[in-house]
Amino acid sequence: MSDHLAFVMKHLINLLVGFPNHRPGGLVLTMILSAVGLGLGMMLAVVIGSAQQSRYRLLRFVARGYVQIVRGVPLVLLLLLVHQILATGKLGFTTSSFTAGVVTLTLYASAYQADIIASGLRSVPAELVDDARIMGATRRQAYLRVGLPYGLRVMRPALVSQAITVIKDSSAVVVLSIADLTTTAGLVLGTSVNNAPYWVATYLAVGALYFAVAFALSRLVESWLPAVRAH
Amino acid sequence: MDWLTADRAAELGSGVLLTIVITVATSLVALPLGIVVGTIRATVTGPLRALATGYVEVFRNVPALIQIIFWAFAFPNIFSSSARQQLFFDNAVVDALKVITGLPIPYYLLAACFGLVLNTSGHLAELFRSGVASIPTQRVDGARTLGANRRQTFVSVLLPDGLRAAFPAISTRLIHNMKNTALVSFASIPDLFHQSQSAIEETFRASEFLALAALVYLALSSGMTGLLRVADRALHRGQPSLTTGDGPDRPSVLSGLGSFRPASLGES
Repeated sequence: MSDHLAFVMKHLINLLVGFPNHRPGGLVLTMILSAVGLGLGMMLAVVIGSAQQSRYRLLRFVARGYVQIVRGVPLVLLLLLVHQILATGKLGFTTSSFTAGVVTLTLYASAYQADIIASGLRSVPAELVDDARIMGATRRQAYLRVGLPYGLRVMRPALVSQAITVIKDSSAVVVLSIADLTTTAGLVLGTSVNNAPYWVATYLAVGALYFAVAFALSRLVESWLPAVRAH
Repeated sequence: MDWLTADRAAELGSGVLLTIVITVATSLVALPLGIVVGTIRATVTGPLRALATGYVEVFRNVPALIQIIFWAFAFPNIFSSSARQQLFFDNAVVDALKVITGLPIPYYLLAACFGLVLNTSGHLAELFRSGVASIPTQRVDGARTLGANRRQTFVSVLLPDGLRAAFPAISTRLIHNMKNTALVSFASIPDLFHQSQSAIEETFRASEFLALAALVYLALSSGMTGLLRVADRALHRGQPSLTTGDGPDRPSVLSGLGSFRPASLGES
């Protein structure tokens, strides 16, 4: 038992921040990937989610098509597809697989977030927008100052739990050998048969790390919920 | 289309079939399991409920990929090498499975499916629980007042009403589960994703095979969306029509506010 624990403790630092003399890896990289993907995804999602509720048929069609396609394909496959387009010079330039991973997570997060934002916008009471318009707001002002903030606030819990899902799903970047927590676990264990006994302890530790992040974040959301309701 | 030879197509076809089989099998196990665990969380108190809560939190918050790798590659190492060989890789059941599935190590398939079932049932339990929580208490009290016992209340109120309320979210999760089956390829199971990857390794035609796989997955998810919509409609048959969707009931009185017009109802 103690040697299992010793193995995990010896490599815990790798699981958390990656290997020395390398770029950050492990859980830190998982969080960086997820944070960048979620942040950029959110910006894209506001545009796409709004387009989903647009007056213009073409915009609605394009936005819904985008969401359908991105949500209809497994993330591991999406990662390989984007990597194929970006990292192999198909567009006349090449990027690292890290960039391909970030771009994919951005697209992936944005599709789910856009859907949430669209349903937030749908839940905006018509009276609220009408009132703003009566008070003299232009359509744009009514949307930017009233509709969008309301929609985002209503959907805050859904957006946060979607963010947690993206953190867990980001484990799929192992397919691009990006040194996130999941990939690092494989690297720590290596291919040596001697390490076979430590697989259980290592993957329990990896599971516990993902659990700690996801569970802590979801508890944080729950403590926010009353504040959301109070509005 | 010279890259798609008949042999290659047959291999990919068998991958599609395996993806469908895994999706159906894991969904059929995870849904009842999720309902049971969700019901325990919603109705029982005491240690059983704590157990159900732990089940949901652990299996929902650990990524499906980690659970698949754990059960396939880590878990057997708990046992000594001779016990491991007998339990997982070399016994009558495993031999029979080898013949049926044609897989060299059928244990990996079972382990990967087990991981998917735990993950998906954890999610489904939570969705079903919140479906049950949305049932008006009068419905349950009414049933109890009319003399229904706990079992009857469950069968005729909690189960159908909870399922109806949670079904849109359950559908989304089941489709997510279908996409997650691509992760079983990490346990060297020749599903659609795995077969596409082997095709790429042999032919170096990455763009073609990735695009093809994406199209097949898209077709599978839209097919599943359609099937689940039929199931949703069947669940609501004979029910008083409720206003579904979360849009405002009153359309905007002002013209030109189309941006806040409720979108056409349906899956979003």
